[in-house]
Amino acid sequence: MSVAGRKVAVVGMGGAFPDCADINVFNQKIFSGQSLIREWPKAAERDKQIRSKVSGFINDNDLGIQPIYLVDGYEWPETFVDTSGRIPDVNMSTADLGCVWAMMGTLDSIEMAGWTTEETQSEKTGVVIASGGGGNVIMRNAWHAFFELGKKSRHAGSHMVDRAMSYREAANVSCLIKNRGVCESIVSACATGLGNIGYAYRLIKFGLQDRAVAGGVEGTSLETFIGFDAMQVLSKGFSPAESSRPFDVKRNGFVCSFGAGIVALEEYEMAKARGANILAVIDEYFNNSDGDGDMFYPSYGGQRRLWKGLSAEAVIKPDVVKVHGTATPVGDILELISVVDTLGESGYHVSAPKSQFGHMLGAAGSVEFITALLMLKNQQVPGCINSENLNPELENFQKKEGWEGSMKPAAAYRDLIPQQTISKEINQIVCLNYGFGGTNSAMAISRDN
Amino acid sequence: MERQEIIDGLVEVLRTVRTVDPAKLENVTEETDFLTDMNTPSTELINIAAKVEQKFNVEFEDEDIDELGSKVKDIVDLIIKAKERENS
Repeated sequence: MSVAGRKVAVVGMGGAFPDCADINVFNQKIFSGQSLIREWPKAAERDKQIRSKVSGFINDNDLGIQPIYLVDGYEWPETFVDTSGRIPDVNMSTADLGCVWAMMGTLDSIEMAGWTTEETQSEKTGVVIASGGGGNVIMRNAWHAFFELGKKSRHAGSHMVDRAMSYREAANVSCLIKNRGVCESIVSACATGLGNIGYAYRLIKFGLQDRAVAGGVEGTSLETFIGFDAMQVLSKGFSPAESSRPFDVKRNGFVCSFGAGIVALEEYEMAKARGANILAVIDEYFNNSDGDGDMFYPSYGGQRRLWKGLSAEAVIKPDVVKVHGTATPVGDILELISVVDTLGESGYHVSAPKSQFGHMLGAAGSVEFITALLMLKNQQVPGCINSENLNPELENFQKKEGWEGSMKPAAAYRDLIPQQTISKEINQIVCLNYGFGGTNSAMAISRDN
Repeated sequence: MERQEIIDGLVEVLRTVRTVDPAKLENVTEETDFLTDMNTPSTELINIAAKVEQKFNVEFEDEDIDELGSKVKDIVDLIIKAKERENS
């Protein structure tokens, strides 16, 4: 359990963001109200095979990464090369695209944190990173060679395991930075990004580690994309920039996106003693399950209990609530009402960053956490773009017998959801993410005083 | 297929194996040893074998791979052996 007096600071951040060369461009685009969502040629070329054609995607050859193909025109890269020379080839050879981003985000986070090599390689430094999906791109290549082409198993590639295994991001990062503490992945679907940061927070808070690199990743993968497209839960029928529309009455699904968000955490007093720039202090982390027995449907009761758990031993009075807000028909308003029924109808703003970059699945929680860190730094809340009109009528779930929440329509809460970036004093932010299986996670962060 | 032609093709394959230092590919001879001269990670040898099969459009027997030496001439011999087997 937590050790009295032990606090956790966020001291570094980095990652891979769609249509952004680096985190500075990401910061600039997010707070100037731009969308990172584009038509995805890889999806578009499949024409009628796929319903949704838009994504916040990162190409194989973006971010200074060079894919290496054995045979020209072959669809799957053998390996990747870091043209900036920061990641040695031997580390790149065991990495899929998401792992490469995780390693890049880790190096940026550690550089920002200012950890020495000795600190990074300490037994008290952990790595806790995961992605939501499997190594789908690598596995398709491997299985294609074996099952379709009838090749020997070696043609699946001797790096199939390390490039596709469930905890590949943590393993690759750990081999790169040579830490001697914990190396694990926490996987909880779309709550993965925040879940890994939450687990790393507990490792430090409980006195097991002094430092951790933590976050979530989702490597660009058409294989992953079509799974959600098959469920018919992806946005369809809008221009790319208008496709992700949390809270808007015309929303019809989420935009499947990809990216990586990595942060460096450190025990607060240690960070303070060495004069680190503290991006935020983590006040509390809490996670739970709906208990409804429903794989997909969001739970008002589960979310209310989430808030209760978050508030049990911490002062929670956020200036901003960074919601999960995916732009699916039911989830957004149910989440909004669980927030309102907990915090009241005023005194804070609601931010839904997916409106600008879509739903990064296993990376969603961590990239949105980084967005929250930037909100603290900038003292600004980015607008929820495309939330043009909120429903003036009650949602169907509000009309059902046994509904215990607010009986006001979404439009009643318009003032909570800015459409353009606003400046205000921000001292505390609560970040929320949920995942299939009824898993819920919440983290509160504050400015360092 | 001439032995030098095979070596040239092999070097092309090795250039795509990023864990092999490109500088070590300048003067490859039949006696060059993958493990001691090129510092190739042993986990990479099976990858090289698979790539060679694709490049030269041959298929090695598992036993051949199990007994494969670590010198360039061993791979050249194996490619010639596999080609002969296919043509017989």
